[in-house]
Amino acid sequence: MPKSLGLLAAVSMVLASTTAMADYPERAVTVMVPFIAGGGADVPARFLAAEMEKELGQTVIVTNVAGAGGTVGATQLSNAEADGYNLGFMPVGTTTTQPHLRGTSYGVDSFIPICMVASGPFYLVVDPASGISSWDDFAAKATGEGLTFTGAAPGSLAHVTSVALGAMLDTEIQYLPTKGGGDAVNELKGGRADATAWFSDYDVRFGLNALAIFAPERSELQPEVPTTGEFGHPSDIAVWMGLFAPAGTPDDVVARLDSACETAMATDGFKGNMEKANREIRHMNSADFTAFFREAFEANGELLRNAGLVKE
Amino acid sequence: METIIAALQQFSTLGVLLALVVGALWGTVAGILPGMGTVAALIIALPFTFGMSTESSMALFLGIYVTSVYGGSISAILINTPGTPQSAATVLDGYPMAQAGKADLAIGWATVSSFAGGIFSLVILIIAAPTLAKVSVAFGPAAIFAIVLFALTCIAWLSEGSMVKGLMGGMIGLWLTTIGQDNLTGMTRFSFGSEILRGGLTLIPILIGLFALSEVLYRTAKPGAQTTGAHMNVGFRLPAWADMVSRWREFARACSIGTFIGILPGTGAMAATFVTYTAAKRYSPNREKLGTGEPDGLIASEASNNAVTGGALIPTLALGIPGDGGTLVLLGVMTIQGVVPGFDLINNNPQVLTGAFMMVLVANVIMFGAGMVSARVFERILRAPEPLLMGMILMFSLVGAFVVRGNPVDLIVCVIAGVIGVVLRIAKYPMAPIVIGVALGFIFEEKLRQGMIASRGSVWGFVNDPIALPIFALTLTIIVVPIIRRRKSTIAETKGQAQ
Repeated sequence: MPKSLGLLAAVSMVLASTTAMADYPERAVTVMVPFIAGGGADVPARFLAAEMEKELGQTVIVTNVAGAGGTVGATQLSNAEADGYNLGFMPVGTTTTQPHLRGTSYGVDSFIPICMVASGPFYLVVDPASGISSWDDFAAKATGEGLTFTGAAPGSLAHVTSVALGAMLDTEIQYLPTKGGGDAVNELKGGRADATAWFSDYDVRFGLNALAIFAPERSELQPEVPTTGEFGHPSDIAVWMGLFAPAGTPDDVVARLDSACETAMATDGFKGNMEKANREIRHMNSADFTAFFREAFEANGELLRNAGLVKE
Repeated sequence: METIIAALQQFSTLGVLLALVVGALWGTVAGILPGMGTVAALIIALPFTFGMSTESSMALFLGIYVTSVYGGSISAILINTPGTPQSAATVLDGYPMAQAGKADLAIGWATVSSFAGGIFSLVILIIAAPTLAKVSVAFGPAAIFAIVLFALTCIAWLSEGSMVKGLMGGMIGLWLTTIGQDNLTGMTRFSFGSEILRGGLTLIPILIGLFALSEVLYRTAKPGAQTTGAHMNVGFRLPAWADMVSRWREFARACSIGTFIGILPGTGAMAATFVTYTAAKRYSPNREKLGTGEPDGLIASEASNNAVTGGALIPTLALGIPGDGGTLVLLGVMTIQGVVPGFDLINNNPQVLTGAFMMVLVANVIMFGAGMVSARVFERILRAPEPLLMGMILMFSLVGAFVVRGNPVDLIVCVIAGVIGVVLRIAKYPMAPIVIGVALGFIFEEKLRQGMIASRGSVWGFVNDPIALPIFALTLTIIVVPIIRRRKSTIAETKGQAQ
């Protein structure tokens, strides 16, 4: 009797778990952002969560686990239960450069990309007072007297940009690291650095000039800014971010989240919020984002290895 | 004038006023709670702004930002625990004053000083924001390094009588900041292979552990210590007008230093309070009494840390470059609301800027009232049975340590710091030097390294910097002069004895 009871319990547990998948989600879903609230990755995550909540019919909670370029939160997510209730909203750096730089316990196989949500291409920006007013001026100074590029810590996307520029112009560019954020602009304005990489709000926020955009095509937001490709150096450098689940999350759950993300991103609420906050939307579904993510992981690893930043 | 009218039209609504009052009250309360600092208070309020108008969410956040620094002084005075890191120096004179039965007066001094600092920096912000923004970018890594070095000399003043213990504390504090990821190279240090230590330590859990938690543990280990509130005269009493007027120099010095350091990006209120305290130790007529419950000490700390609020808003609003952790979140919220601080705001939307000034002014006035009210509420709370009170402090401390980063290591660090704090108390080590070390260590190293990179590895870059050089000279004077004086007086004494 106890034996059959045990069997019965096992059967009903299996039943319960299959119905749980079919009914996903049946309780609150947590979306972890590996940076502090109000920051660059946090804002789109909250906008998305608000719309996905309506779509999924369950509360979507945004939590912040900050530290070490997002690796603390990403590590936590990679170890979390892969049941669809633990998701992460993470940017390019945390997922594709930090694993190479820091030897994190997570890697390219630790996460399933669900959807890309936002992407902000980088612009090459200078202070109007710098005397550099075109790509040619920039190239001339870089190869002539030499120039200083500033941005966040080594290994950051701004640093990757600096290394890429050096390769484009076949010269050495001095890199001045800062804590990141607006600190780099402080060095520009103070005349201690010549250029940095920033998003499309470089003019309204800082009053800076852009010489080029690191993208395959010109942006609708700043149509007068040429691409680096127009000068013979094609590039694609952007801070993108999206929704991830830990590896092992069931396929049907991923599919459910994939479609919920797409619906949420198509709502006027999401679009309006993103536009108001000056953020650029870019959607990719799970399949496309997975291919994109794997390619970016390899490409960034290669770039960082070439720059001598990878500790083997 | 037109801008003022436009600003009034845009911002003088009931919703804005309500948001300001709520923000200012929450800011004060969050400031009082140990661990709930400015950043935590802003983050907790963040989700509410999604449903609010742009004007109201700015009001809510400016209200919190301005008042949370002040709230920290109340717990510093009454329970020997700075409610926010910015109030760490308030403990030095606030708590001794409270122990002498003048807690109400200490809160009065802190309130008046905070108000003076807030208003002074606001006036500067209104008159000269665009000009000062230009000054702020002239301060490169070398210059800011020089200022931080000056602030670090404060460790020496706070270690009088036990210089070795104090300096050791300062060194330990500085060392703690080197744990984890190095911001300028991306390398990980002293993490012992632990994934969670990679994120490094932050100031707040250490501060809460050393002050709040160790206080709780110490009292639990030593039951029967008197109840806090009864003998202290908790309440609110304004200092006499003549007393305030006679100290106008202290006010002027603290307000100016606070505003000025606030303008420099990333330097922050901690550096400002310790620079001001060091200056008071050198120039105040009551310098001998500093650290024993002297109002000049409260003025130095509270006027300067509140003056930082206006100062830090200058680069935030005028350049789009946040001056400290609080303005970083503030800037984030304004961006979410579609207001981009910086170039466009100054040039094309001056009424938003003027509106922000008005809200800061009103927030400072509400802060004054909130101080009077909360001091009386606190009086009641402190009369609660000690186990209940300690339990509450314990709970808020741990929540505060966790909430900013959500990183479990912060809880562990907080508890370890608490236990170490008890040992230090028993061994009679001063706690402040460790806190100063941790508070200034990050920026000290960052600016040193940046300066070295900028000058391609040469220390001459620091000496050649026209702004840094005079500050280095001043630092040297402030260290050397007292030593020479002491020598002279010892020599004179021995001569006198010989005769």
